[in-house]
Amino acid sequence: MAYVATRGGERAIEQAERLFRADMGKITAERVNEIKSAMPYLIDRVMGEASLYDEDLAALALAQTGGDLYEAVLVLRAWRTTQPRLQVAAPVAQDDLFTHRRISAAFKDIPGGQVLGPTLDYSHRILATDVLNGTPFTPAAVEPSSKPAPAYQPSVAAWQAENDLVDLPKLDETHPDDIPDVTREPLLFPSKRAHTLQSLARSDTGGALALGYAAMRGYGQAHPTVNELRLAEAEVMVKHPNGTSFSAGRVKVSQAEVVSKKGEKLELGFSATLGWNEVKCISAATLDLNSKGAPKGSATEEEFYLYHTEGVESSGFCIHFKLPHYVTFQSSLDAMRDAKSKKSIHPEPAE
Amino acid sequence: MSLSSLTKDWEPMSYGFLDASAKREIRRKMLKAVAVPGCQMPYASREVPMARGWGTGGLQVSLTLVNPKTTVKVIDQGADDSVNAASIRRFLARVSGAPTTLDTLEADLIQSRHRIPEEKLRADQVLVLQVPNPEPLRPVQPNMSIARQMHADADYGRMWLQLYEQIVRSGRVMQGASYPSLVNGRHVMTPSPIPRWDVPKLHMAEHLTILSAGREKRLHAVPPFTRVEPLVFDDVPYKVEEHGELICGRSGAKGFFMNEIPQDDGTSTYEISDSDYGVKTIRQAEGAQVHLGETWYKNGELS
Amino acid sequence: MLEAPIPSQNESRANQAFDALLMSLSRPGDVQVLPVAGEQTIVEALLDRECRVYCADPMLMPGVLATGAMIAEADAADHVFFGNTIDPATLAQIRVGSDLYPDDGATVILRAVLGSGPRLCLSGPGIEHTKEVSLGGLPSGFWEQRRERIRYPMGFDLFFVDGDRVMGVPRSTQVEVL
Repeated sequence: MAYVATRGGERAIEQAERLFRADMGKITAERVNEIKSAMPYLIDRVMGEASLYDEDLAALALAQTGGDLYEAVLVLRAWRTTQPRLQVAAPVAQDDLFTHRRISAAFKDIPGGQVLGPTLDYSHRILATDVLNGTPFTPAAVEPSSKPAPAYQPSVAAWQAENDLVDLPKLDETHPDDIPDVTREPLLFPSKRAHTLQSLARSDTGGALALGYAAMRGYGQAHPTVNELRLAEAEVMVKHPNGTSFSAGRVKVSQAEVVSKKGEKLELGFSATLGWNEVKCISAATLDLNSKGAPKGSATEEEFYLYHTEGVESSGFCIHFKLPHYVTFQSSLDAMRDAKSKKSIHPEPAE
Repeated sequence: MSLSSLTKDWEPMSYGFLDASAKREIRRKMLKAVAVPGCQMPYASREVPMARGWGTGGLQVSLTLVNPKTTVKVIDQGADDSVNAASIRRFLARVSGAPTTLDTLEADLIQSRHRIPEEKLRADQVLVLQVPNPEPLRPVQPNMSIARQMHADADYGRMWLQLYEQIVRSGRVMQGASYPSLVNGRHVMTPSPIPRWDVPKLHMAEHLTILSAGREKRLHAVPPFTRVEPLVFDDVPYKVEEHGELICGRSGAKGFFMNEIPQDDGTSTYEISDSDYGVKTIRQAEGAQVHLGETWYKNGELS
Repeated sequence: MLEAPIPSQNESRANQAFDALLMSLSRPGDVQVLPVAGEQTIVEALLDRECRVYCADPMLMPGVLATGAMIAEADAADHVFFGNTIDPATLAQIRVGSDLYPDDGATVILRAVLGSGPRLCLSGPGIEHTKEVSLGGLPSGFWEQRRERIRYPMGFDLFFVDGDRVMGVPRSTQVEVL
């Protein structure tokens, strides 16, 4: 028990961690590679929530934490935050995205066509149990279309704006170097637009879904229609110190535009994140759509959802309740006992 | 501009874990917090390799202040040997090379969760308190934007009303730990959930206290010699926990904040909550030569 | 896993300089020692590309620019370096923050003569009763102007540098010219 047992406490900590790691065994580069190639959507989710695009590090984080998502995101963010910010990449326009999947629920067909791309949306979710009996599951080969869809497409909202159905947000002319960065400065309210979109981009998928779903079910003011959902790759263009612009590679991104009718125009909600994560983008865009004029304290108010979809903070706070609280508890007990003894001396009159 | 001027030599880890720019931001905010005692200053609050809610705010401040000559003490709920205190102490030492101590008198920097040591802190010591919720108005106003406006207007009416209602209902203020207190006559702060026993230790103290909430991304400070006045009514005085008469079952010492240890027979025994002070009093009772510092409370009374 | 890193020279200087700043602001009127004479270590301890700086001292400018900080007019700067030339018109523009965000009030660093010059009586947080100090090299009317500009908690915070010595006077300090 307490006092002098300091060494015992430290030993217990050490052994508890060993117990956790012993279950996972040795972590090798092969294991990390296997995680990376077998679970791209999990990697994407972790990269998005950590706001760090590096598949190897994300796979390593998953390997190291045994797949505990909150732990994986935390360990990645803690690594990310110590890295210097060398450059701000050039903004990416929607038309410049190398698009793999682009669908709209608002129209049967859209300019450029509905491009299904990779999805499980229409599959029957049946476990391939034969694999466990030794019969590998080999996916059927993809048959390329005779007429490939164009890789670069304008946004659906751009077409709607041309037809006076929606007012596009004014082009933000902020120099990239001056775009506020929520990982480097505090989030204050009313939130800067960049901070809102960055916070949603790194929000916890489950958290964004829970609050987004509440809004979809009727706790919000607007019913979303998916105007456009896009999975794509974005070119990361940076500047060499000698002035030339070059591509540092492509990153997977997803984005969603949802709309809702407001008077004679449509209102837009938007969200984008690193990696392919459709549930998060649709949920986050729904929150964005609903936030204007949301009552204080409601789930669709910006302050409410940005605070409560922050996965590292919410999960950390949740598990902190495992820490001892006996001093604060003692303080409350003292007040309770005192109030109780006062009551027994001066009983309250019967109601 | 060249790449080499933008970057630095590769290191596996920055000194003190945080990179230089994270430290600079916290430094800037600490100065503002000292300049406006008790006012919550927002900061970016970087992730650290510990979960939010586990002392990440205090840790960021400690990591910014620490250097290889800083002797560090870490306490959790009064105890140096609590698992999380041990974990934070180990981390601080590992990333800074700083020596650690359990003895309050030897420490330059004390990071604590929810207690202020019983021995008086000196002018050359800095106390860093971990804060889960920096907003005293949260119980009456959960919305942070509105609460900020209330601080701006020094609009603490609802706070007073809440305390008044408790007195009417229960005959006393029911606030346990983190008793709301007016700092420098202007800002109401929550003194982190230290027990009421510890709040007077902040009033006109010799040492600097920095309170930092990592998850909520706010820090505030109580500089030395600053008024810290618990919110009370003239006719209902401030009451600390009734621990003045309790006797430590292990050291025999009396008059300090105690941990209550429930017994099988339905009674309770007590032990000094400040674990290192407890250890020192036990060793003294056993006849060892121990240096006990001056305490804030003497015989259970604030001196 | 990893050995404790050794602080680089820059890291040590910044840590030491900040220690002096924090302690001097916590105890207004007390003199602390900077690791190197002049403002450069203060620049390194506090500034980076997130800051907007007004710098009236051309000698200090290269150091400020090297941090990546943006150069701004006095009314937009979060850090103000006056050097020796303290211009009352500029002082009138320094940011004092807002009721909502008092932290937007600027940090002002200027040169002065510590220990000689007009006598001042300081009181407020960080000072048990009152503290008397001598401070020279400031334009006349400086303290009156400061008093007019500060509407606590709005205000700006001062660091006076004299060689390697620094003294802080936060906005919370009442200053009486004796």
